[in-house]
Amino acid sequence: MAKNITVALAGNPNSGKTTVFNNLTGARQHVGNWPGVTVEKKEGGFGHRGYNINVVDLPGVYSLTAYSPDEVVARNFILKEEPDVVVDIVDASNLERNLYLAVQLLELGAKVIIALNMMDVAESRKYKINVKELSRLMGMPVVPMVASHNKGTEDLRGTIVDVVEGKVPADGAYLEYGKDVEGEISRLEGVIASSPLARRYSPRWLAIKLLERDEEIVGMVKEGAHV
Amino acid sequence: MSSEDIIQEAKQSLAHLKKVRGDDAETLIADARYGFISGLMKDVLQKPSVERRTISDKVDKVIINRLLGIPIFLALMYGVFQFTFVLSVPFMDWIDSAFGWLAGQAAGIDGWFGALLADGIIGGVGSVLIFIPPIFLLFIALSILEDSGYMARAAFVMDHMMHKIGLHGRSFVPMIMGFGCNVPAIMATRTIENPKDRLVTILINPMMSCGARLPIYIMLALFFFSAHQGLVVFSMYAVGMVIAILLAFIFRKRLVKGESGHFVMELPPYRMPTIIGVLTHMWERGSVFIARAGTLIFAVVVLIWLLDYTGALEPIGRTFAPIFAPCGFGQWESTVAVVFGVLAKEVVVGTFGTLFGIGGGIVGGTLAFELGWSALTAYSFMIFCLVSVPCVATLGIIRRETNSWKWTGFVAAYTLILAWILATLIYQIGSLFV
Repeated sequence: MAKNITVALAGNPNSGKTTVFNNLTGARQHVGNWPGVTVEKKEGGFGHRGYNINVVDLPGVYSLTAYSPDEVVARNFILKEEPDVVVDIVDASNLERNLYLAVQLLELGAKVIIALNMMDVAESRKYKINVKELSRLMGMPVVPMVASHNKGTEDLRGTIVDVVEGKVPADGAYLEYGKDVEGEISRLEGVIASSPLARRYSPRWLAIKLLERDEEIVGMVKEGAHV
Repeated sequence: MSSEDIIQEAKQSLAHLKKVRGDDAETLIADARYGFISGLMKDVLQKPSVERRTISDKVDKVIINRLLGIPIFLALMYGVFQFTFVLSVPFMDWIDSAFGWLAGQAAGIDGWFGALLADGIIGGVGSVLIFIPPIFLLFIALSILEDSGYMARAAFVMDHMMHKIGLHGRSFVPMIMGFGCNVPAIMATRTIENPKDRLVTILINPMMSCGARLPIYIMLALFFFSAHQGLVVFSMYAVGMVIAILLAFIFRKRLVKGESGHFVMELPPYRMPTIIGVLTHMWERGSVFIARAGTLIFAVVVLIWLLDYTGALEPIGRTFAPIFAPCGFGQWESTVAVVFGVLAKEVVVGTFGTLFGIGGGIVGGTLAFELGWSALTAYSFMIFCLVSVPCVATLGIIRRETNSWKWTGFVAAYTLILAWILATLIYQIGSLFV
């Protein structure tokens, strides 16, 4: 019996996410809507090393705040459906801006793989990216790709299975917010730990979101355990 | 701890941070993230020591220039419609003669079935299908502009003007998408965070002339404006945009007051569009029209044919025709076309095809000879079709996205009234000069 894996594809708009999705899934895909909203939901699948891998294409977003339906859909899928792996498609020619989303995925506590796409564009601009160092600092595997030429797809497939089998760590670096903020985070973590919410979500993440005055999370906490 | 306690504790934390750091926690956290990234970048990324200005930067000096930006946008859009026209004519001729041949064969069949085939199905659906080439070519052109990164620039250029009308550049993207189809365009307003901005962007979207309205313009422009086809069709899109912008200004001032949202306009780098990408996007947008021709349009033209065959259609048309007399097209045939056009805009063309039993390429001439239309009538009719009640699918999506029958009814009402007034003004004032 093939084991099932769910992979979520995240990434900024214009990062080549759709191309990566098409490369991974080929013809096996179907399009629907996310429940309750009219944001398009694309799903597809492929088999690899005895796994049945289901790929969900999240809406293209720059961050994971609660400001737009796209961002809420992307965030809620990762939080509530808990995919086995999140693949973050990052535009190598625009690394700094794209990493903002990667950092937020890391905060969510998801297992993240960075698919470093558009390496050809970065190279044509003579950017030198130290892939190993990027992987080490972010605490997640990094797969260089040129999705438009279907390069790196096999590596990505292999890395997804490696992460699921625990052969490659993908838990992410620990992000420090500075002494003052960290002090408040740990104080709030303590308060949250005794609440039923802590059973579903990481208390640290909830604390960060409360400090960011994230409307959805504040609302969720107010409603108590009903979520 | 109760949930209320948690909120209280969080408030204390926020106040504390504000006091000791003088900034919102939100900002402090975002700063920490950016700090983490920029630190990481120093170890990971090596850029060429003196980075030359990229080609993107150089091109942008011209494209997003304060003075040149809007003229460049208009020139490009004009080019798009010229391109659509010039290239599609031979394809349309082929399809037209293929359907002409088919209709000739069907006309040989006796009785009602032959009439249904020749007039209803081949005349009705065929006259819509012949406009598939310009629709697809328009979508190719729009996909190239989008995939290359130009449309993001257009939104950036418009940002300045959009602020003056109480919206911002992000509202411009759904407007451009409306050139394809208003339904996905209205869904795309979900990227607009501010609910009031979003509502106004939805309300004006029907003014953006969709692909289904293109056949009407082409059908009429081919005959009545043969020397300036591209220009006349371009004028429809331009008029639609001007009306949309004026309406946005009025709605924002009178109906949906309040602050407009702030955000940064992204400028993604220019990219060479790939052939596969452009064709895929063309197909994603365009295939809907082929599917509709085989389903919805097919059903409606058969219905129209049936009503016509049984003699029920003309009385319906004659009942409403006086309403459109001041606009210049108070004939029962055009009335029926407009009324059924609410089901789908392609039906306007399909109705003429069915009623006259001819292909879409020569509908214009028939309107001139049978109904006595002039170029002025044709232009008035085009404006009416541009502005009047969007199709039912668009009304449906407006209902779903605004979650309000009130706003949906508002759109239906204002578009109808405005369309009638504009068409009447054009026809009546134009008649004084022609």
